[in-house]
Amino acid sequence: MSAAIAAPKLVRVYVWEWPVRITHWLIATSIILCSATGLYLGNPFLIVTGPAGAHFVMGWAKVIHFYGAIVFALSVLSRIVWMFIGNTYARWDKFLPIPKKRRAGFMPTLYFYTFRLRKPPGFVGHNPVAGATYTLVFCLLLAMIVTGVAIYSGSAAVGSVLHPFRFLIPLVGGLQTARWIHHVVMWLLLGFLVHHVYSAVLMSQVEGNGTLESIFSGYKFVPPEDLVYSGYRFVDRNDVP
Amino acid sequence: MSDLQGSWLERELESHGVSRREFLQFCAAMTSVLALPDSLAAAVAQAVERTPKPILVWLEFQDCAGNTESFLRASRPTAAEIVLDTLSVDYHETIMAAAGHQAEAALTKTVAEKSGGYIAVVEGSIPTAAGGAYCTIGGRAAIDIAREVCGKAAATIAIGTCAAFGGLPAASPNPTGALGVADAVPGLKNLINLPACPANVENLTALVVYYLAFKRLPPLDAYHRPLFAYGKAIHDNCERRAHFDAGQYVEQWGDEGHRTGYCLYKMGCKGPVTYQNCPNVRWNGGTNWPIGCGHPCIGCAEPDFWDKMTPFYRHLPGIPGFGIGTTVDQVGVGAVIAVGAAFAGHGVISMIRRRSDIERMQRGPQPAGPAAGTPPDETGGAKGGRS
Repeated sequence: MSAAIAAPKLVRVYVWEWPVRITHWLIATSIILCSATGLYLGNPFLIVTGPAGAHFVMGWAKVIHFYGAIVFALSVLSRIVWMFIGNTYARWDKFLPIPKKRRAGFMPTLYFYTFRLRKPPGFVGHNPVAGATYTLVFCLLLAMIVTGVAIYSGSAAVGSVLHPFRFLIPLVGGLQTARWIHHVVMWLLLGFLVHHVYSAVLMSQVEGNGTLESIFSGYKFVPPEDLVYSGYRFVDRNDVP
Repeated sequence: MSDLQGSWLERELESHGVSRREFLQFCAAMTSVLALPDSLAAAVAQAVERTPKPILVWLEFQDCAGNTESFLRASRPTAAEIVLDTLSVDYHETIMAAAGHQAEAALTKTVAEKSGGYIAVVEGSIPTAAGGAYCTIGGRAAIDIAREVCGKAAATIAIGTCAAFGGLPAASPNPTGALGVADAVPGLKNLINLPACPANVENLTALVVYYLAFKRLPPLDAYHRPLFAYGKAIHDNCERRAHFDAGQYVEQWGDEGHRTGYCLYKMGCKGPVTYQNCPNVRWNGGTNWPIGCGHPCIGCAEPDFWDKMTPFYRHLPGIPGFGIGTTVDQVGVGAVIAVGAAFAGHGVISMIRRRSDIERMQRGPQPAGPAAGTPPDETGGAKGGRS
């Protein structure tokens, strides 16, 4: 079907640098890994029989969860650092609809999502709505790290680097509340995952710019006017056969 | 032994028929409760027997006297009991002989004469609503008594969860505006919380011994709880921990796992989020403890336990507004399915529109009218460069 859209002149743009792609996939993998083990931690549904010393099912689930959490936390923090040293598409200001351009593009993008516009404004990186959504997602990711570290610190060995983080326990409302937040946020992230995969497919299909592929390769294929033209992007009349 | 001659403790031990050996055993036990090295036991014994008789006043506010019960213990006289009993308890409504104005006079006298030299023990929460009218003693509001008595004490021990954190009286909706001592009388120096419902008398004894031996307070955590008793999660010292790590859980009351002594995690045990030395010290003279007899921990030593640790027999509370008994997982699965369904619907509409767009484009004309507004693009021509 996409061949029917006239093959507009597209420019190959390096959008997602390798740290963005690697942290993206590490975060995604660790969320799935930690959610799978986390669901077991919250409700250990497997039936284990025989002498206790012969099994370590919960033990291994925790080990995987903790190592996944280390990867997760370091990836999220690395991505946040990269917001300040990466290219324009990775920068922190793309996550806040505060700069004038992004404020102006926010509602039209929302109109596109709600079918009031046929085409989204031509933002090459994150569009303003996606950027704002990722700000909320980053808040969830940080909430996950803070509550997770608080829960872990409570039982961390005295020599552990996480032991001093016990000061977080009262700040997150006590350990039982931290558990609850940790659990609820997991579901919010899984809900976001469904939304995120869908939106990537949608944008890739509608914009035909390789959004889905770009998180593997780093490149998007965008009409030149998206790079130079300020405004909405429509297929150039001359390019339509 | 000559050191012991004539000390108040010696006389008390003798008159109660407690041998020197028993006293030393007690000191060794206390040394281990305090997590001090064995070699210090003799030093602890010496310090305790040489110290002057400490003065103590015991205030009861919004409480059930459960901590008093814990303090009084009805078991045979032990060295621990002697140490506690021979504290000069100048004021304790439940056990003192005096009553009414005489009792209050005793308190006033101690506070006035021994200002800065006595230990105040507070049991029960302190109501602050309605000007403190919910709990008055001798016509004075609990909050006023606490301010004066705790304010002039050398140290204040808030015993039990009510005194430490507000406990049951402070549970939602907290009609009396109940607070723990730390919140009701802010800025108290030398405040020690000994939460639990009731507090374990072994920890009170150990605390008193520590105070007598070292003349200062033990190291405390962020909630003012002594680390020797509240430094580790119950879960991390639990005798059923091997079953937890193996993945063996009680699935329902009385099942094979319950009878075998499997982990109570799935029955809502709050051991992993509760800090106390119950598994080591146990209760009723070391007889047993809740998890030991097959009941999950309810987290009674933690702040706001009545609000936060409930439902006691569930791992986690539900989400407010989704009905009692609905779990976070049920709501979560529902939410994820709802998101999926919403976007599936969005996808169907998108595909239909896209198809009509393509058809229109194939016919030639502009696919859609010009959109309102012209939001500028973010890049301004930069190709992957820094903005």
